[in-house]
Amino acid sequence: MTRTVPFRRRSLIRTAAGLAAAATLGAPAVLRAQTRTLRITTWGGKWGEMMKGQVLPAFEKEFKCTVQADQAFPFLPKLQASPKGDPIYDVLHTNSNEQWKAVDEGLVMAKITAREVPNIADIYPYAISDKIVGVSIFTSAIGLGFRTDKGLAKPTSWKALADSKLAGQRGGYIIPVNSLGQAHLMMLGKVYGKGLNDLDAAFKAMAELKPIKLVDFTGQMEKMLLAGEVSMGVIHDSGIYRYDGQNQPVDFAIPSEGVLALEQVLNVTPGSKVRDLAFAYIDYMLRPDVQKLLAEGVWYSPSNRKVKLDPKFDAKLFNTEAKVAQLIQPDWKWYNARKDDIDARVTRILRD
Amino acid sequence: MSAARNRTPFDAGRAVYLAVNALLVAFLLAPIAVILVFALNPTPYISFPPVGVTWRWFDKFFSGADFMNALWLSLWIAACVLVLSILIGGASALALARGNLPGRAWLTAFFMSPLMLPAILTGLALFQSYLLAGLGRPVWGLIIGHTLVAVPYVIRTTLAVLHNFDRRIEEAAAVLGAGPIRVFFEVTLPLIRPGVFAGGVFAFIVSFDQFPVSLFLVQPNGETLPVVLFNYMKFDLDGAIAAASTVSILMALSVVLILEKLIGLKAYVKL
Repeated sequence: MTRTVPFRRRSLIRTAAGLAAAATLGAPAVLRAQTRTLRITTWGGKWGEMMKGQVLPAFEKEFKCTVQADQAFPFLPKLQASPKGDPIYDVLHTNSNEQWKAVDEGLVMAKITAREVPNIADIYPYAISDKIVGVSIFTSAIGLGFRTDKGLAKPTSWKALADSKLAGQRGGYIIPVNSLGQAHLMMLGKVYGKGLNDLDAAFKAMAELKPIKLVDFTGQMEKMLLAGEVSMGVIHDSGIYRYDGQNQPVDFAIPSEGVLALEQVLNVTPGSKVRDLAFAYIDYMLRPDVQKLLAEGVWYSPSNRKVKLDPKFDAKLFNTEAKVAQLIQPDWKWYNARKDDIDARVTRILRD
Repeated sequence: MSAARNRTPFDAGRAVYLAVNALLVAFLLAPIAVILVFALNPTPYISFPPVGVTWRWFDKFFSGADFMNALWLSLWIAACVLVLSILIGGASALALARGNLPGRAWLTAFFMSPLMLPAILTGLALFQSYLLAGLGRPVWGLIIGHTLVAVPYVIRTTLAVLHNFDRRIEEAAAVLGAGPIRVFFEVTLPLIRPGVFAGGVFAFIVSFDQFPVSLFLVQPNGETLPVVLFNYMKFDLDGAIAAASTVSILMALSVVLILEKLIGLKAYVKL
């Protein structure tokens, strides 16, 4: 006996509508499942504006992914607090000193090569030297910023900061929390002692710099220089060059002893679920066109040798073999191992 | 009778009292005045004395998508925290004051403990808990974090009202035939309302200005105003920070005035 299933138009419409609704609701989920998300850290300010406005949307379009860019500090403690097997970030962007801390705890990869990131083949050796964990995509040069309207000669040595005329008019950093301050301390060891690791000479020279105005962030140092609260201070070149053309009486000096490299380092977290995308992102950031865009936007020296900068930037940024030879890379592994003692000592010196 | 005779005699005590009050008011308002001066100063850095007057920093603040998104998110979160804190804090205070609970003192200390713990640790602990639970950093997680630190304010202000509460009024209502629910809504609630809502105002302000708890819990592209200002300050320390601070102060003041208009917080000053 054959049983006939009665055809009901209403039930058919209802079923079809249900299927359509399910398909409609389900579609974004399917799309989401196909669209991978890359979680990165990145700076704020002008850099952040360019990243969010131009660089990241272009990357998302090309690699058909979504980039979740965290601009809220502190990055390393957040990464430390997240499970290693499922880290909160896929790519960590910090300065070099924090990358060394991260690698010691197994939070980032020890080495990245041209096999994973092909554009590494075109970068200056300093950008993947043994002083770097990960890849330095840009660098700034830490030197001396000074006011041009205070009758000061352009400083030619780091010793110029110790000039007695600058008492109370020189600027530095709260060393425990600022990598420029830490780098400057090491430079004092080189200038007044046997080398970057000569801490006794560095502490003695630091004491001689008192009275000195100390700040937490480079942004504060920029504004103190602009406001004339300090006449000379330790700062990175981009913090001065960014006011180019704005008629501000400030300039940057490269001391004869050399400038310290303040590298912008990218690295991949070993637990990343989208490691290929993370490497693709680093490779993308090293592309000559992306490097040129950001270098000229924020006055950072590009790591890729093939970048052709406009004359204004070409004249000032560190983008030739001869220029990058002036960059001194501190040994952050060495420094981090002694950081607690250094912090205690330097705090005592600057407080007394 | 001469006019000199009618003149009130000089009261040295009152003069000192007024002078001390004037000093206190000046002490409290001076930072706000300085912020306003910075916000109106046209130089691209914060300096004193000002060299002119400009609206450019307010313009930068109001035209900045990051600032505006953060402002609305902060307001929205603070509004949610206000409601949740009133509900949780009000109910907890009632239970603590009326519940004859064993270990009441211990429970009160427990509910107050978020105020004793550094807020940054609360934020870090929640952040780790969310990640371990695989939840990521949801907005509701941020709201829970803010509520945790805001609830003690509502509990404290409500307990203060309940402490002076004459329970005979409730008993009279019950004797006249009102059931427990009616007594609560028509007698208890109206009487404790100033304390609950005053705590709610604190909760709103605590949430709106909350930085340490938010630091770890904010999502990428979903930062609250204090976090955005902190990050902005690291790169651009200009008058936009002062403009944002001025707007924040005015926002908090507006909320207090609106609540005062709606529910009459004047009663709270008697506490």
